[in-house]
Amino acid sequence: MNNVTIGQYIAGDSWLHKLDPRIKLFSLVILLVATFLIPVSSDLTPLFSMIVLLVLVIGLTISSKVPLKKVLNGLKPIVFLLTFTFVIQLFYVKTGQMVAGPFDMYISVTSIAAIILFLVFYNFTKKYIKFRILYFFLAVFIVFFLQAILPYVELTSYTIEIYDQGLLRAGFIFLRITNVIILTSLLTFTTMTTDLNYGIEALLKPLKIVKVPVDMIAMMLSLTLRYIPTLLIETEKIMKAQASRGVDFKESTFKEKISQIISLLIPVFVISFKRSEDLGNAMEVRGYVIGAKRTRIDEYIISLKDILTIIIATLVLALVIYLRVI
Amino acid sequence: MGIQFKDVGYQYKGIKVNYDALSGVNLNIAEADEFVAIIGHTGSGKSTLVQHMNALLLPTQGEVNVLGQILPPRKKEKINHLRQKVGLVFQFPEYQLFEETIIKDIMFGPKNFKSTEEEALEKAKKAATIVGILPELYEQSPFRISGGQMRRVAVAGILAMEPKILVLDEPTRGLDPKGRKDLMKIFKDLHEIEHKSIVLISHDMDIVSEYAKRVIVMDKGHIVFDGKKEDLFEHPNFESFHLELPTPLKILKHLEKEIGLPYEPKYDFDSLLSYLKEANHE
Repeated sequence: MNNVTIGQYIAGDSWLHKLDPRIKLFSLVILLVATFLIPVSSDLTPLFSMIVLLVLVIGLTISSKVPLKKVLNGLKPIVFLLTFTFVIQLFYVKTGQMVAGPFDMYISVTSIAAIILFLVFYNFTKKYIKFRILYFFLAVFIVFFLQAILPYVELTSYTIEIYDQGLLRAGFIFLRITNVIILTSLLTFTTMTTDLNYGIEALLKPLKIVKVPVDMIAMMLSLTLRYIPTLLIETEKIMKAQASRGVDFKESTFKEKISQIISLLIPVFVISFKRSEDLGNAMEVRGYVIGAKRTRIDEYIISLKDILTIIIATLVLALVIYLRVI
Repeated sequence: MGIQFKDVGYQYKGIKVNYDALSGVNLNIAEADEFVAIIGHTGSGKSTLVQHMNALLLPTQGEVNVLGQILPPRKKEKINHLRQKVGLVFQFPEYQLFEETIIKDIMFGPKNFKSTEEEALEKAKKAATIVGILPELYEQSPFRISGGQMRRVAVAGILAMEPKILVLDEPTRGLDPKGRKDLMKIFKDLHEIEHKSIVLISHDMDIVSEYAKRVIVMDKGHIVFDGKKEDLFEHPNFESFHLELPTPLKILKHLEKEIGLPYEPKYDFDSLLSYLKEANHE
C-alpha cells in the first residue's frame, strides 16, 4: 500500500516547498510543454537537450530534499509500459545505420519451452532480488536472447535488426516519460493540497468568463487528492480485519481471490460513502455554500524567487522552441 | 504455550526516519484462563502489540511465539492458521461487514478456514446465540440493523472461528453504557464458562478494573507495568503511569477523606454498593 505515491505530500522547507503554488503549477506546465516540444527524432541535439532537461529535473528533486528514491518509486507502476515502448521503438525503426544484427530469431519448440521455463523461474526468484526493476529488464533481454540461440525444431522465424536511429528514438522516449513522471510527482510531493487547490483555481480563473464553475472543480480535485491517502489507510485497516477472519491475500487460489476482493471492496465503498456524507455535513455546518464568495486565511504574495523561477522555466521553453525552429 | 514475546521490537518505516512502535517487549500470555487488559495513551503501541498476536504484523526484532509457531516465520511457513486460533476483533469492527445477510457474514470466517457449508452454518448459529443475535435477524442485511447490533454481528464473526485466545481492540468504543455492559458480559461469560484467554485494549478504567485480572501498562512502546490489577491500583507510584483511577476507587478514596470511611478497594460498582450498604448498617 505504501508504494502509491500520488497525492502524497512530504513535509519540508526547501525553496520548492515555499514556492507560490500558482507559479509552481504554471512552471510545471511550461516544463511539461518543453518536454513534449523536443521533437522525437534521432538527431543528437534533441537527445542532448532531453538529457539536459532530465539533469535539471533531478537537480530540482535534490534541491527540494525529497528523497530521490521516493520519486523514482513513482516510476515503478509504469516500468512495463516503458519497456514495451522501448522494445517496439527498437525493433520497428529501420532507418539510419545498422548497429547490431541482423539477428535471426526462431520461434521453435525448444525456444518456447525455454522461455516458459525461464518465466516460471523468473516469477519464483523475483521475490528475492533486491533490484527488481533491473531484474525485469534482464528478463526481457533473456526472453529475446533465448529465441536467438535455440533454433531447434523451428516453427517460424523472424529477423531483428537494430539501427542506431531506433536505439536513439527508444532511449529518447524512455527519457521523456521518465522526465514527465518525475516532474509531476515532484509537484504533489512538495505542495500541500490546499495550496494545490489554490493554484488550480487561480490558473483556471479565466474560464470563469465562460461560466465554468472553477472553484467547484478546484474543490473537487483537492478533496479527491486529499482522500487518496485516507482511503488507503482505511483499506489497509479493512484488509487487516478481513485477514483476521482468515482471508489470506497471499496464499490463496484465484477462485478464492474473487470473494476476497468483494470482502474488501464493499466495506471500503460503505466507508467512503459514509465519510463523504460526514464531510459534506461538516462543510455545510461551517458555512460552505457552493458558489458563494470565499476569502482565504493565507494571502499569497509573489516574491522575487517566484518571478525568477518562472523566468527560468520560460527560458527553458524558449530555448527548446529555438532549437526546434533552426 | 500461549503467546510469548521475547525482546520484541517493531519499527514503522517513515519517509525519512523509522519510528519505533515497540521496543524490548517481553510478555507471556497463557493459553487459557487469562483476562489481560492493555492500557496506555494513544500512540503507546497497544494496537501494534496486539497485531503481533495473530501475525498481522511480524516483529522486526526479537521473536514472538504464538501457540508454538515462531514469528517471524521461516520461508514458506504458512501463518494464516494462527488467525483462526487467535481471534482479533478490531476497533469499530462493524466496518468489516460485507455479506448480504447477517448469518452469511458470520459464516465467512469459518468458511475461510475450510469448514464445510453446514459446519460453518452451525458455528455461525452458535456464535450468533452467544452474542444475542436472534434467529429472525439471520436473513437480514447487516447494513440495516443498529450500530450496537452490527458490532455484535462483527464479534460473532470472530467467535464463529472458535478461537482459543480472543484479542479485543477497544471493543466497547462508541457504544452506550448498556451496550458496553452487554458486550462485556459476553466476554466475561466466555472467559468464565469456556475458560478462554482474553486480551483487551481499553481506555475505560472502569471496564479494566471490573473485568480484567491482569493489567499491562504501555508507554512509548515499552511495557511499564505488568501485574495484577490490585497491584496496579495500589502501586505506590501510580501517578507516574499518568492513568486515572477507576470510579469506584475514586469514590472510596473521596469518602475516606471526607467522612472517614475505612478504605477498602472495590473494583466494580456492585461490590462498591454492597460495601457502602454494609457500612451504613454499622
